[in-house]
Amino acid sequence: MTDLPVLAKYPFLKESKNYVKENEISIDELLNDSIYERARLIGIERLDNAFNKRDVGNRALATDYDCIMELLSYPIARMITVCIGDIYFKRSYALSEAVHSYNYLINESTSNLIKISDEFKFNIKYDKNNKKFLIYFTDYLKNAPTRYSQWKMINRVMENGYISLSSKDFTRIIQEALRSRINNELDTRKCSKIINESFKSDIIRLSKLIEKHRKKIEIEPMGSLDENKLPPCMKEILKSIQSGENVPHMGRFAMVAFLNSLKLNTSEILQLFSTAPDFEEEKSRYQVEHISGKTSSTSYTSPGCDKMRSYGICPTEKMDELCKRYRHPLTYYKVKWRNK
Amino acid sequence: MDGFKISNKSFEFLKNIFKDYYKNNIIDLPDRFGRREFAFLFFNGKGMVRHLSFNKKIIFNKFLINRYPAHCYYSSAYYTIPDAPTMQEKKWMGAELIFDLDSDHLPNAEKLNYEQQLNLVKKEFYKLVNDFLLNDFGFNEKYIRLYFSGGRGYHCHVEDPKILHLDSSERREIVDYITGRDLKEKLLFSEKITNTRKLKSGKNVPIEKTLIMPKPNEPGWRGRISRGLIDLLDEIRMSNDPVKKLQEYGVKNNAEKLISDLSDERINRIKEGRLDQSKTIRKFFLNNVLRKTAVTMSAGETDEPVTCDIKRLIRLPLSLHGKTGLKVIPLKIDELKEFNPLKNAVALPEKSVKIQLNQKFNIIMNDEKFNLHPGENEIPSYLAVILIGRKIATIE
Repeated sequence: MTDLPVLAKYPFLKESKNYVKENEISIDELLNDSIYERARLIGIERLDNAFNKRDVGNRALATDYDCIMELLSYPIARMITVCIGDIYFKRSYALSEAVHSYNYLINESTSNLIKISDEFKFNIKYDKNNKKFLIYFTDYLKNAPTRYSQWKMINRVMENGYISLSSKDFTRIIQEALRSRINNELDTRKCSKIINESFKSDIIRLSKLIEKHRKKIEIEPMGSLDENKLPPCMKEILKSIQSGENVPHMGRFAMVAFLNSLKLNTSEILQLFSTAPDFEEEKSRYQVEHISGKTSSTSYTSPGCDKMRSYGICPTEKMDELCKRYRHPLTYYKVKWRNK
Repeated sequence: MDGFKISNKSFEFLKNIFKDYYKNNIIDLPDRFGRREFAFLFFNGKGMVRHLSFNKKIIFNKFLINRYPAHCYYSSAYYTIPDAPTMQEKKWMGAELIFDLDSDHLPNAEKLNYEQQLNLVKKEFYKLVNDFLLNDFGFNEKYIRLYFSGGRGYHCHVEDPKILHLDSSERREIVDYITGRDLKEKLLFSEKITNTRKLKSGKNVPIEKTLIMPKPNEPGWRGRISRGLIDLLDEIRMSNDPVKKLQEYGVKNNAEKLISDLSDERINRIKEGRLDQSKTIRKFFLNNVLRKTAVTMSAGETDEPVTCDIKRLIRLPLSLHGKTGLKVIPLKIDELKEFNPLKNAVALPEKSVKIQLNQKFNIIMNDEKFNLHPGENEIPSYLAVILIGRKIATIE
């Protein structure tokens, strides 16, 4: 499978990387040689598309030249993303590359899918009779979007540790694996000076766009607390603490960590609890300061909905529409706060 | 965990008997012990001493003899620096998958006595290990270690290298699978088109559909839910008042009709997955309450936070449980059925001791029946430890 269109469609393959190595294309050439001008332009196009369309975009792959330029544009786009450095953009770029590949993968033959998935060292088998991919459950768990109920392991058929998947679902697993691989690459690499120089104007332009977009979606609620906007779980716990009811340790912990994440300081948190008939300032202060990291080595973050549920402090019967849409009490609060 | 608030003499008794145990028994360390954190609780009740590590077996056994802890724990996780003072500095490398089943967590267990609780937990534990871990997850038996906890339950450690790197949310998925959470029963029942009619436009439209459920021998939850429903059906048919039983599950109309419809022959066909044998039978299988009951009946139990925690401290095999004096004992799956903790996990001496008991207490231990009355009793040491641990007896 060393044909160029395949490498161009899936530039993340080891084979694609080897191609660049074997042809001894240096960074210097890639950045300065006029032969690679087109690769550089596509590199930027990938990023603009990622930002605007959540897909790095299709281009004709008719000739060898088309393919080589497409293939080389990928490392360029990736290096620029590292230099832009913004975590949200990194995530969104990785997703766009993964979605782009998915759209090609969905039309691949079974044997090609298996070859490409080899890249991720999945433990899989193919069931010819039923035309199903069988994937070992740990590989499934690492990659399946189990936040959706149809992807939860319990709603899949598992036998002897292998989960059976249609070709379409298996392709989705590859997409997710690819996404986390790109994320990982983006997070572990450092911005190279040469890239920063060569693409200075585009990096500045994109950074500004991202910053603007970010400001729009991210007005942080901070300081004082609006109790009406609390998610049902936190409302329950706060009410119980304030009325002096017995709240399990995990509940108190979750409440304090939640308030700490909203940047309330110790005395503001204590004030909220002070109406409790059994309020003991010294003891509470010690606990709050421990959780907020003042007197301990860690500033704990508020547990997510999954964890709240595990500990039985998610009042499932009081869940509302917002609860169903988000997976973290903080997100719930922030969304409600923003929509005031 | 709270300390013992008991008489000084009881205190001395416990310390000495634990000390002797650790003097006379060499405690094996778990695999890769040098990569694990150890933690202990002592009889002084002063809180947990943790972040310890041992690189030699002999040093560890000396520690036990010198300090005779009430409870010994080690981490299910492996760390680069297991004795580092904070979790971040330890540098996590991986962790075994732990299941903890305790009678505290079983519904209605509080109504049972200690022995009945132990039996109930054992049944659930067998289901967890056999039905889920060995069958559905297909773990090799050589990677599965089972222990009696020394208290009211059982632990299972899965040491398969393939699962060591699972993070907490991935482990939560495993728990959800076992406990039947978020099972979409609708995915399991399907309607198959058995007859169609051609319209003038040339389109085929279904005119006859039949309701299908998975066969009881299908893998995973598909077979499990259908076995569950069939068991439920059997339970209803065999009960003294089937109609009343059905009504309890919310089947109000046609309960009599349903019972008379359910001939043995029909039951057999249901076991093949064919549900459309009469209107009432079809309706029965579409009943959500019944489906939910079948899920609960066939789901496994496990203590969720334990399994999801990738830095858990767990009891050390062969150590003593400080509140019972029973030994944390390794078991094979086929030994489970016959295993009697109140005999097989007894590790302390027979030697009799005088205690002051403050209530009536009955128990069968080491095949001997004890019917104890309040006041002074002379009983074996192993029983005295349990009673002191429960704070219902002291040594004066």
